Amino acid sequence: MRMRGALAAGLLAPALGLMAGVYVAPLAVYFVNGFHAFRDGRILPVWTLQTYADFFADPFTYRVVGTSVGLALVVTGLAVLVGYPLAYALHTRVRSRTARSALAVLLFSPLLVSVVVRTYGWLILLANQGLVNTTLRSLGLIDEPLSLLFNTRGVVVSLTHILLPFAIFPIYSVLGRLDPTLKEAARDLGAGWGATFLRVTLPLTMPGVVAGALICFTLALSAFVTPQLLGGGRVQVLPLTVYNSTVEINWPQGAVASLTLLALSVLAVWVLETALRRLPGPEDHR
Amino acid sequence: MSEPGARGAAVDVSGIIKRFGDVVAVDAVSFAVQPGEFFSLLGPSGCGKTTTLRVIGGFEAVDAGEVAIDGRPMGRLPPNRRETNMVFQRLALFPHYTVHENVAFGLRMRRVPEPELRSRVGQALELVRLPGLGGRRITELSGGQQQRVALARALVNRPRVLLLDEPLSALDLKLRLQLQEELKRLQRELGTTFIYVTHDQGEALALSDRLGVMAGGRVAQIGTPMEIYERPTSRFVASFIGDANLLDGVTEALEDETVVVRAGSVHVRARRTGAERAGQPVTVCVRPERVRVEARLDLPTVVPARVEDRAFSGTLVKYRLAGGGLRLHAAVPYVNGTALFDVGDAVAAGWEPRQAVAVPAQ
Repeated sequence: MRMRGALAAGLLAPALGLMAGVYVAPLAVYFVNGFHAFRDGRILPVWTLQTYADFFADPFTYRVVGTSVGLALVVTGLAVLVGYPLAYALHTRVRSRTARSALAVLLFSPLLVSVVVRTYGWLILLANQGLVNTTLRSLGLIDEPLSLLFNTRGVVVSLTHILLPFAIFPIYSVLGRLDPTLKEAARDLGAGWGATFLRVTLPLTMPGVVAGALICFTLALSAFVTPQLLGGGRVQVLPLTVYNSTVEINWPQGAVASLTLLALSVLAVWVLETALRRLPGPEDHR
Repeated sequence: MSEPGARGAAVDVSGIIKRFGDVVAVDAVSFAVQPGEFFSLLGPSGCGKTTTLRVIGGFEAVDAGEVAIDGRPMGRLPPNRRETNMVFQRLALFPHYTVHENVAFGLRMRRVPEPELRSRVGQALELVRLPGLGGRRITELSGGQQQRVALARALVNRPRVLLLDEPLSALDLKLRLQLQEELKRLQRELGTTFIYVTHDQGEALALSDRLGVMAGGRVAQIGTPMEIYERPTSRFVASFIGDANLLDGVTEALEDETVVVRAGSVHVRARRTGAERAGQPVTVCVRPERVRVEARLDLPTVVPARVEDRAFSGTLVKYRLAGGGLRLHAAVPYVNGTALFDVGDAVAAGWEPRQAVAVPAQ
């Protein structure tokens, strides 16, 4: 028992050391700044809650938090809405193994490209003279170019694209573990395709949906590059506040903003984890 | 015994063929099941019995042939539009629903009004002896209780035909025997037509009004349990159902009611079924409990033999015998005082001709 404990400690040590050294410690140092003041371009080594008070008294804070959470919710919702049918099709319609893995690679491919490159790609697509607008105009569907850049629309489209694989794969994996006889049983008891989906498949794959949503939400909430490049400064989200504060050496404000971001993520994880625990999994009946 | 296409059949399966790739899972299977009948499909695994059941339920489309329920051809009607319900081998209870909601599922699909639904679910749970468990989660039930819920979930819809796919195979022996009795009781009480798939011959013989023995995607024989046991028409059926001595030989003479077969170095007699011709190779099938073992016997068939082995099991004495170029198993009832033969003793083994049957050799 003692040996196993020592072994476990030994195995965990590198990871824990790395986390403590390069993550927890710098984070702690940074967060400490939140209890200092910032005046005339300098951090004052005094202990105060003034930065917190200022941050949460500023109406702009609530606009930024609102934009961040709203953006993350919309992107998460879209990723799940687009991802579920995709995962379902991949699971039910694609029979051959090779086709299935080829499609899986294709779906994962957005992650193979750097986020900056990918975002510039979207810049080209969504610009006024970009592919989307020229296509729509040549089809005569619009007269004036749609403004898809430097506003929330472009950010939403691009973030959804990037986060799609994170929604698809948890759902796909839960679908794969679903006992196919459950669907047959529903059909046998008189349910058509729709009722079978709504009453059996969907509820039993909710753990996958929740897991996918959790990943998408936290990633969307902390997304920085996409809102920065495609938002053109007009989509003010919390990670941008952190970035701007840090650049301006306003570390106290940056620390408070990051802590707020962290708290929102933890809250989201807690809410969804609670939901997940109440859902029966696809294997609970075995 | 009814023929395929019989009038008034609850289920009429005629000439169905089902292929999976190159494999013919069901090869021209036909049978008819009468209303209120307990019909079993019995066979080893891979014989096509489950596929046949799934075809009737609408889960597999046939390559040829037709299934009619109550005289109505089913064609490609999906399961949800057939008046059949299935009890699945893996039960397939919905883990996210309570017992009540599982049982109510079919009624909800048919939009049965809530008060009627409640009373019917309650009745169904009483029928399977689980009253008051409606609020439980499926995961809180034992294997036997889950089995009962699966039955209630199917029966509550009052199907014209209940399809059961080895529903008891996951249970231990004691529970299995108990549930066999209950199945039989339910079927008698409700008068529902049951089609029951099993690989357990004891189960099939005990439960069924009639059964079809399947092998290699075909129906080998259909009949009552007694007919199948007493008058197997093939070597496969004779060996699959119960124990049997299978003696290969050649038909030598045909008498009024018996056929004389030369097997090994002796002549044995079996009941004549009418199809025999002289000179034809046949297999004589005689059940071990029909073989008499005495010091001396006066019967049309007597095989002089030597005792090779003896096993005593309380109610029976089982002998392994060899003689006349044949090997024989005999199971003699044991009552207090029955003289036992020892290994090496010379004995006479024999049987009445009507206790044996000749089937085509293969």
